Amino acid sequence: MNPSVGRRSLGLHGANRAIWPAVWFALLMLCVWGFPHADGVLRSLEPDANQVVYQRASLASLLLQHLFVVSVAAVVTIVGGVLAAIAVTREGGRDFLPMVAQVASLGQTFPPVAVLALAVPALGFGTLPIIVALVLYGMLPIVRNTLGGLQDVDKDIKSAAIAMGMTPWQVLRQVELPLAAPVILAGIRTSVTINISTAAIGATVGARNLGDPIIAGIVNGNMAYIVQGALTIALLALTVDSLFERFQERLRSRLYTS
Amino acid sequence: MSLLDALPTPQVSWRQWRPNRVLLVLFSAMLAAIWLLDVVSVSPNRIVSGEEAGLIEAIGWVGALLVSGVMLTLLALSLQPSHQGYQVALVGVSLLLLLLPFGLMVASHRLISSDTPQARLNMGMAYWLMLSLLLLCWIELRLRLTLSRRRSTLMLLGVLLVWGVCAILGLDSLALGQELRARDDEFWRALRQHVTLVSASVAISIGLGLTLAMLMRRYAKCQKIAFGVLNFLQTIPSIALFGLMLGPLAWLAAQWPLLSQLGVSGIGWAPALLALVAYSLLPMVRNTYIALEQVSPETLEAARGMGMRNSQRFFQVRLPLALPVLLEGIRITTVQAIGLTAVAALIGAGGLGAFIFQGLGQAAMDMVLLGALPILMLALIADAGLGALADILRPNATAQSGDSQ
Repeated sequence: MNPSVGRRSLGLHGANRAIWPAVWFALLMLCVWGFPHADGVLRSLEPDANQVVYQRASLASLLLQHLFVVSVAAVVTIVGGVLAAIAVTREGGRDFLPMVAQVASLGQTFPPVAVLALAVPALGFGTLPIIVALVLYGMLPIVRNTLGGLQDVDKDIKSAAIAMGMTPWQVLRQVELPLAAPVILAGIRTSVTINISTAAIGATVGARNLGDPIIAGIVNGNMAYIVQGALTIALLALTVDSLFERFQERLRSRLYTS
Repeated sequence: MSLLDALPTPQVSWRQWRPNRVLLVLFSAMLAAIWLLDVVSVSPNRIVSGEEAGLIEAIGWVGALLVSGVMLTLLALSLQPSHQGYQVALVGVSLLLLLLPFGLMVASHRLISSDTPQARLNMGMAYWLMLSLLLLCWIELRLRLTLSRRRSTLMLLGVLLVWGVCAILGLDSLALGQELRARDDEFWRALRQHVTLVSASVAISIGLGLTLAMLMRRYAKCQKIAFGVLNFLQTIPSIALFGLMLGPLAWLAAQWPLLSQLGVSGIGWAPALLALVAYSLLPMVRNTYIALEQVSPETLEAARGMGMRNSQRFFQVRLPLALPVLLEGIRITTVQAIGLTAVAALIGAGGLGAFIFQGLGQAAMDMVLLGALPILMLALIADAGLGALADILRPNATAQSGDSQ
């Protein structure tokens, strides 16, 4: 059972869902621009510390860094993962299908922290090893869901498309991919959500991102730092996740009305 | 139109030739890796990075030829695959897996002189590549031969046993082993902490999950809200949730001294356990709910017709039938909790993650491995074990146990 597929059918319903991305985004912006001026509020959390506003870098720049790492990883994983899954479901690559499917489901049992930790000895500290680890790990849900989506396309529909005189390329572009799109998108959503979280842990291996204030707070015992980092990163995750939810909604309604 | 055209033409063109391309690619990559990349490296002590050594330096000409010979044989076998060929290849791959630690023994003998006891042997890029490629070959062969789960688990256990014996007998200079010996007690304590935290959080979430799922079945209204909240919790990055748990728990401990006497504080096991349970609830509740819902109404109706009471129907019909899907939820939750507990080390909850973060802080990669590899093993063992249990408990287990994966 794939967690990301089941999750959708049991979520919140209704039209009011459309406003969530905007709400989370507004709160995120409030955090990023508000915290540097919220000395008083933060002071109440940590009255004894000599500094409560995180100053080593601005939250906005950390947010941009975080987004940069996650989006580079996301682009590579989406392109690579979808292409790999398409390749092994075509006639030429079918030999590789059983193994790729097996590896994609087995690899998801690897904890992301362990993957990140194992990437460091091989690649060193900094931003690049994090991107590589995120790509390696984020590929799995996408490959798995794309495979599932493509294999679930009804054989009769494909036969009908071929009988209409479509080339294999047209069948893929106009029949298989659109029908598999909701499942693929669910995989992308899982992958990106995990990556936002894992990238934050990357702060421990020397990448600058929103994990920084949290780590600094834990090390110095400064709750105010932790709150700044944790709230910002939680809101980022919620913004992105709700955007995906919105996107899935629209995709589904378009698929079922047309 | 002559008669000749109607006859089938003999089909012995090259198109008919179907090698196993997966194994071809894997074995070629393996050969390239061991000849082109460094196999092992030797470092004088813990922090200094090592001097790399190739295949011939590490295990000598004889060893290099032996390993390459086995690989070339396997490569040839995959050119013209057959059932027997796959069986031979499985033996060959297992043999190579068994030879891996012996290779390290030979390398430590050749490269490390006895007057430098501090020297450490590290496994190089080619070694790790070869290990993972061999495991991929093994998966492919297992799928081709449709080996049962039990038989393949036994084989892997055999390989692990040989590795263990080798590690105890003759791998004194291996970096990972030295790291383990240097902090023997610490390691076992961390492992215990890790397992305890995971089992406690899974146990709590099983109880809470069952309760919540039952409540949802009774009050359909709260189902949407509950799943909304659980979804929301699952979306928050783990490191943020762990961090946010620090404050409230520290405050609670300060308010009630009894709690702090019990060991509850902003740092340590309490916030970790709380966050772990929060994360575990979504997969748990979702699977429990689906498991209980999917039991067919006809079966329940039949049970009622047999005169079963409500409680009997629940415990003797609904729960046993729901058990496989429920176990699937426990499996997902456990594997996830094993990974998240590693992050919990950041807020002082101990466990194997502590080695990862300490090692990263000191740039001591052997220590990172000492934390990461056992976590990986734990996750794989939990996944395989609980998956096998779900297979056994499936009602029609006898019908499909033959080739289930």
